[in-house]
Amino acid sequence: MSFTQFQKLPAYYRWPILAFVGIVVLALVQELTGQGLLTSTTTIQTALKWAMPILIAGLGGLLSERCGVVNIGLEGMMILGTWFGAWGTLQFGSPWWGLFFGILGGAMGGLLHAIATVGFGVDHIVSGVAINILAPGTARYLSDRVFAQMDGGSISQSPRVESLGGFTWPVLAKGPDLFGRVERLDWFIVSDVFGVLRGLLFQMSYLTAIGLALVPISAFLLTKTRFGLRLRIAGENPLAGESLGINIYRQKFIGVIISGGLAGMAGSLIVLDLAQLYRQNQTTGRGFIALAALIFGNWKASGVLAGAVLFGYPFGLSLRDLEGTATRSLLLVIAIALVVVMVWAFTKQNIADGILAGTVAVGSLLFFLFTNTAPSWLPGTMPYVLVLLVLVFASQRLRMPAAVGLPYRKGGS
Amino acid sequence: MKRSWRLLLSMLAAFALVAAACGGGSDDVSTDTTEAAADGEGEAMEDEAMTDEEMAAMEDEAMDDEAMDDEEMAAMEDEAMDDEAMATGDFNVGLTFDVGGRGDQSFNDSAAAGIDLAESQIGISSSEAEPNADGSNRAELLQLQADNSPLVIAVGFLFENDVKTVAGDNPDTNFAVIDSPMLDFDNGATPFADNIAGLTFAEHEGSFLVGAAAALKSETGKIGFIGGVSGFGLIEKFEAGYIAGAKAVNPDIEITSSYITEFPDFDGFFAPDRANEIASAMYEGGADIIYHAAGGSGGGLFEAAKSVSEASGSKVWAIGVDSDQYNTADDEVKEYILTSMLKRVDVAVFQIIHAQAAGEFAAGNTVYDLSVDGVGYSTTGGFVDDIVDQLEDFKAQIIAGDIVVPTEP
Repeated sequence: MSFTQFQKLPAYYRWPILAFVGIVVLALVQELTGQGLLTSTTTIQTALKWAMPILIAGLGGLLSERCGVVNIGLEGMMILGTWFGAWGTLQFGSPWWGLFFGILGGAMGGLLHAIATVGFGVDHIVSGVAINILAPGTARYLSDRVFAQMDGGSISQSPRVESLGGFTWPVLAKGPDLFGRVERLDWFIVSDVFGVLRGLLFQMSYLTAIGLALVPISAFLLTKTRFGLRLRIAGENPLAGESLGINIYRQKFIGVIISGGLAGMAGSLIVLDLAQLYRQNQTTGRGFIALAALIFGNWKASGVLAGAVLFGYPFGLSLRDLEGTATRSLLLVIAIALVVVMVWAFTKQNIADGILAGTVAVGSLLFFLFTNTAPSWLPGTMPYVLVLLVLVFASQRLRMPAAVGLPYRKGGS
Repeated sequence: MKRSWRLLLSMLAAFALVAAACGGGSDDVSTDTTEAAADGEGEAMEDEAMTDEEMAAMEDEAMDDEAMDDEEMAAMEDEAMDDEAMATGDFNVGLTFDVGGRGDQSFNDSAAAGIDLAESQIGISSSEAEPNADGSNRAELLQLQADNSPLVIAVGFLFENDVKTVAGDNPDTNFAVIDSPMLDFDNGATPFADNIAGLTFAEHEGSFLVGAAAALKSETGKIGFIGGVSGFGLIEKFEAGYIAGAKAVNPDIEITSSYITEFPDFDGFFAPDRANEIASAMYEGGADIIYHAAGGSGGGLFEAAKSVSEASGSKVWAIGVDSDQYNTADDEVKEYILTSMLKRVDVAVFQIIHAQAAGEFAAGNTVYDLSVDGVGYSTTGGFVDDIVDQLEDFKAQIIAGDIVVPTEP
């Protein structure tokens, strides 16, 4: 099958194939370096957990940008989500209430962004930055008024909150544990694939399940429903939409508020699933990484998932990797991937790109050969490096919504 | 329609202004300072809840009949009663936190507890400040504090250089820096100026004792250490002492160490989610006791100890740091905290204020080590009661100089 044929396959064939290729590469590297961690159940679980905030916030960014509004305020909306997620849980005694209020808190940030950008035509970046400044201040002010009065809380931290918990898929991952059995057989590649699959199903948190379900839901919503088409025309050609009688303001408002709600959900996930308390600054820039995932994923729901997993995986791996050797073997994975890019570029007669990819591949390989353990900054920088590589090698293939970031006024044609 | 829009907006704008002005983020001097500066009284209302809690924690400690606590109280009283009676003073003390500030239930809160005690015992007032997120306004905050206070206490070694500069500009104000000796080592280790004192701790000695406790209590022969931020020398002291203490008990013990971030990335002190993940990996790798020196990230370790214990059915332990974390941690996770390495920042803060009140402020470095109970271990919870004798034995040997604890791993 040639490359162009592959590209013509529908997305629900392409992505599993790519994922399988990825696992094969990981398994190969695992054999070469004698590492057991790369495809183990616990690593995949951790990676998935750490990918979720990026994924959900990235889907938030997707909905906002698809209706034409740049949402650089994702980070601020996530912070609102962390605070309200913790507050809702403590106030009403259930993490589900926390999730509800987290979404509401993020949506409030989205509403503010929508009023500024859609209602008043404020520059999207200015409004987004303002929200990113306002949100931590608001959260700290509220913490001082609320958490500081509670036992075990303070101006920068909430008391402990209950986790939402999760479930293990029966038969496949527990009881007969079919996947686990295959994983333990230690057959090359087959066991690796089942190790990954079992990692997905073992002790899956409810929020992870919801987050994964949101990917097909938002793809369906955007491409197959009337609502999605109206939303997208607001981001592609709002004047044409207006001429067809669509209320563009309304579409944009809805899109940005949902976007904020998703960002808030991502924030409350950090509180409810990962940390089990609110702590100032605990989003650590994941809103921006979500934007990177959005660009990486070419403004598509499935692409955002791929980006989130690619960014979450090295991070999750490095936390599990106490000796730092597994993270090091990722350098080999990068080198292999870049060699593929190089070959692809050369077959496309794209000499400059090919040479660049080859050089970086050699650099990565040398880095791998001359170190014993990976430096701790490596996983944190990977999202940015990957996005840079995508922008360098595939920028012509990226297609952002045509009217994103442009001011829209009714009757402006 | 239009009117309601305006109303909504003006309300939002008003809320935004209030939030921006009062919250201030980690942005600027907190309101406490400005209020204190304005009315000269200090101790803003907001702090009361925290104060109560800490006072309660300190009282708890005082109530306990454990030998350790009695000794500590005795040590503090000795120091305080040196001149027959406790000195009093009604001056203002400028407590300048580092990024993160009050509320970490660890290092910074320990300093805050010292101030609170001094307020009730000595009668001083205080004003608090905390730098913005990138720490770029440290010098300005110190100057602001120096304008109102005869004594400025900077919490954290990152204030080193700014204190040197600001102290030169304010010769009539005394400065104390926690975690830095403030000595000019290029010049025969003399104090930088007559108004600069350093307050440092022998963290490695306290860590030695909890390391020994971990080795005595471990059933798997594997223990772990989680450091917040590597590469600037301080946290390595904790690790070195911990390893030395564990090896002193059991030379074959396996110790896994991991740091959350590397200098200059200080996220490692505020990342309970990452600490949770690292701790889970260590527990699953067979370690049954983990010690953390990661400030605000420690909560993640306690959480991991709880969830791993519940999932596997066999109890694993965590060891706290700086304050007695059994007292500050949530009830749900308390029972997993074996002991805590105490770093008595509160004692150091109290004593430097007392010295100022008595007119005995002295430049140079004061080291708080085991011999003055500046560091130690906690017994709250009673989990180490059976090994206290052995730990006290180690402690005596360290004080006597028979055991020299390394400061680098």
